[in-house]
Amino acid sequence: MSGTCSSEGAVTASRLEMTDISKRFGGLRAVDRVTISLRGGEVLALCGANGAGKSTLVRILAGVEHADSGQIALDGVPVVIDRPETAAHHGLSFVHQELNLVPKFTGLQNMAMGADRQSRLGLVATKRLRRLASEVQERLGYRIPLDVPVDRLSVSDRWMVSLGRCLMRSAKFVVLDEPTASFTDDEAEKLYKVIKELTDSGVGVLYISHRLEEVLEISDRVTVLRNGSVAGSYETAELTVSSLTKAIVGHEVEALAHRRGDASTGAPIRLSVRDLRRPPNVVGASFDLRRGEIVGVAGLVGSGRTELARLLIGADQAAGGEIILDGKPYAPRGPHDAIRAGVVLVPEERRSQALLLSESIERNLAVASHGSARHLMCRFRPRRSHRAAVDIVDELGIKTDGVTRPVLSLSGGNQQKVVVGNYLRTRPSVLVLDEPTVGVDVGSREEIYGIITGLAGAGASILVISSDFDELAVCDRVLVMRHGAIVAEVPSHRATKGHLTRLCFEAEQPAA
Amino acid sequence: MTVIVEDSIKEASASSSSTARVVWRLIGQYGTIAMLGLLIVTMTALEPSVFATSDNLVNVLNQSAIPAMIALGLTFPLVTGDFDLSIGNTASLSGVVACTLMRDVDMSIWMAISAAIMVGLVIGLVNGVVVTVLNVNSLVATLGVGTMAIGVNYKIAGGQPVGLSDSESFLEISLGTLLGIPYPVYIMIGFTAVLWLLLNRTVLGQSMQAVGGNPVAARLSGVRVERVRLVSFVICGAFAALTGVLLASRTGSAAVSGGDGYLLSAFAAAFFGSAVLRDGQFHIIGTLVGVITVAIGFNAIALTGMATYWQYLFQGLLLVLGVGVGSLARRRTAAT
Repeated sequence: MSGTCSSEGAVTASRLEMTDISKRFGGLRAVDRVTISLRGGEVLALCGANGAGKSTLVRILAGVEHADSGQIALDGVPVVIDRPETAAHHGLSFVHQELNLVPKFTGLQNMAMGADRQSRLGLVATKRLRRLASEVQERLGYRIPLDVPVDRLSVSDRWMVSLGRCLMRSAKFVVLDEPTASFTDDEAEKLYKVIKELTDSGVGVLYISHRLEEVLEISDRVTVLRNGSVAGSYETAELTVSSLTKAIVGHEVEALAHRRGDASTGAPIRLSVRDLRRPPNVVGASFDLRRGEIVGVAGLVGSGRTELARLLIGADQAAGGEIILDGKPYAPRGPHDAIRAGVVLVPEERRSQALLLSESIERNLAVASHGSARHLMCRFRPRRSHRAAVDIVDELGIKTDGVTRPVLSLSGGNQQKVVVGNYLRTRPSVLVLDEPTVGVDVGSREEIYGIITGLAGAGASILVISSDFDELAVCDRVLVMRHGAIVAEVPSHRATKGHLTRLCFEAEQPAA
Repeated sequence: MTVIVEDSIKEASASSSSTARVVWRLIGQYGTIAMLGLLIVTMTALEPSVFATSDNLVNVLNQSAIPAMIALGLTFPLVTGDFDLSIGNTASLSGVVACTLMRDVDMSIWMAISAAIMVGLVIGLVNGVVVTVLNVNSLVATLGVGTMAIGVNYKIAGGQPVGLSDSESFLEISLGTLLGIPYPVYIMIGFTAVLWLLLNRTVLGQSMQAVGGNPVAARLSGVRVERVRLVSFVICGAFAALTGVLLASRTGSAAVSGGDGYLLSAFAAAFFGSAVLRDGQFHIIGTLVGVITVAIGFNAIALTGMATYWQYLFQGLLLVLGVGVGSLARRRTAAT
């Protein structure tokens, strides 16, 4: 009667080994003689900059790519994983960054797709599936919403649905690719508990993340990849954030230096927002942004940060309040008005909101300059556009063979630089960046913040929204948003992660 | 021993896979052009005295002009990611409007043509408004608007062909020649150049391509997405109307459903064209190559004395092969 086989106790801890795996794409060694091993019941973290070979390794394990050489063994027995179905058959499950959920399906319907037998006599076996799903819920110790279409769920709940789908059949190993990229700290805490439940039941977890504190908190061991090879394997206990960063980058990285906020306090006010509102997400935001200033916006996901950013560029219309830009009333009816006035938003979701995925780097660097053109019959000069693209690529240090290459050939960090470069071509005076470093490796993150501080130095006013409060160290001031309103303003030297997190939660403290 | 063998096999497979990729890329980019070339070479070999003559070339281009106008116009909504199913009906209606105005109101040719094209502009505008303001899926919206155009058409013409009694100067548009080349060929070349410039050398054209690539990104980058889509429908409507006028000027008479048949051939040409030199993106030169390939195929079928039904088999096969091989080649280029 007792549910899954793994709950009978991990008598024989299973073992997954990938030995001497190599994979080349053309001349590039994506993965070069990489060996990792993972036992049931433990968490192995896989770290590395973008392009270090983590994704390729995972794709090989998933049967999506085929290794040129090397061996995969389960419990000492070599296996050939040539198709995703084979991986599933061997008890390997994957939660990818793109969750691959059907938006209009409920949690249960999505989870049902992971089950072995979904139907009986051609009819969906609803009862059996629901029982299975509630077993999964119990096992995770997390209430996955089963009867709500997933497009109405929060990012973390969607992620849990995706994980739940993996567990609908017996999984010996689960690979989690960047799970917390857009989680709040609170949501991440819940995830850690779930991972603990998984490992306690004997499942081995391969955990991929750019968030190093998180890696240190939940993993047992860490394998670091650099340029396609293993740079080192460590017991987590021996690591610190700085030693791990050093292993990933190959050289010491300075912590993002705190800026001295007093530099720009005397500068003229460029953007003045007064009681801006669009219920229910934004119910009263007031703040000033000076010339040459970098201001952070901290807040939990759902606190109205993104919605505020959208109001600033007219992507949504404000229901009340006013904005003054350089002393004049500013009420954009759409992003076109905003961009013509010099206000741009670097949106949160790179792939769905900012890039033309099937186009070249050059084309991607030209969209905003078309969008800011005075009228539609203006002439487009391809050569001038090409030269401008080359300049941006040099200026922002985008690593590529040429601007005519597809934008998808770039790593996440370089794609993000293309997104920023696209907007910079319009010479904005106010730049709003929503989560500019999600899915970006440590090195590129530093470079992106270098670009941001450079722009501020040149007189641009910058608003940075980030869930990674450590990043907000680059700001002169940090605004804290809660339930659609700006509730606090913190000067640079007090903008520590702990303090900001507390301010984000404060009102909810009694409940918790 | 085994190690050496393995290594050399690996080397060989690595180099062969990169060769394969190059080959697939070439097939993807030039496969459709190669099909056209093959067709021309085969026909030249089979019927050298009839096919490979300048007269026949001019004839083929002349035959291409009408389908080219409607397909070139259709390319614009396709670029922005919309469909326009009303073009055939628009062409029929505009021909009927032009002939009716000339016959019953005794309007001058140019005034009548302008009015007919105005009809196309209005239909395009209505399509655009229904799609962008009412936010109706373009497939549904243009199907509805097209059906209404049929209604208007029957109201005007009463279901009867509208023939002109004194049609000589109207016929001149299709039959007249300059330097031995019929006017429609000039019209086709001229408008191809204009539309190419519009799509590739103006902010409007670039914005359309951006909207087709990612409407959300385009909007956040300041592109006025609704306006751009609306303009693409208006251009499409105008060129569908022009097609209808040219069609009527062939015979001096407008059949009630004369333009309807051009709907599918326009889609076929544009989709075939999307595989020409590009990775499945619609573009002007591609569409023109698509139209001309079909025209040469039809010409070949006629010259070799094959039955008419071969036209349909050929056009369908061409579309499936052109788009299918292009898509396969893209996958292979990405995969290996």
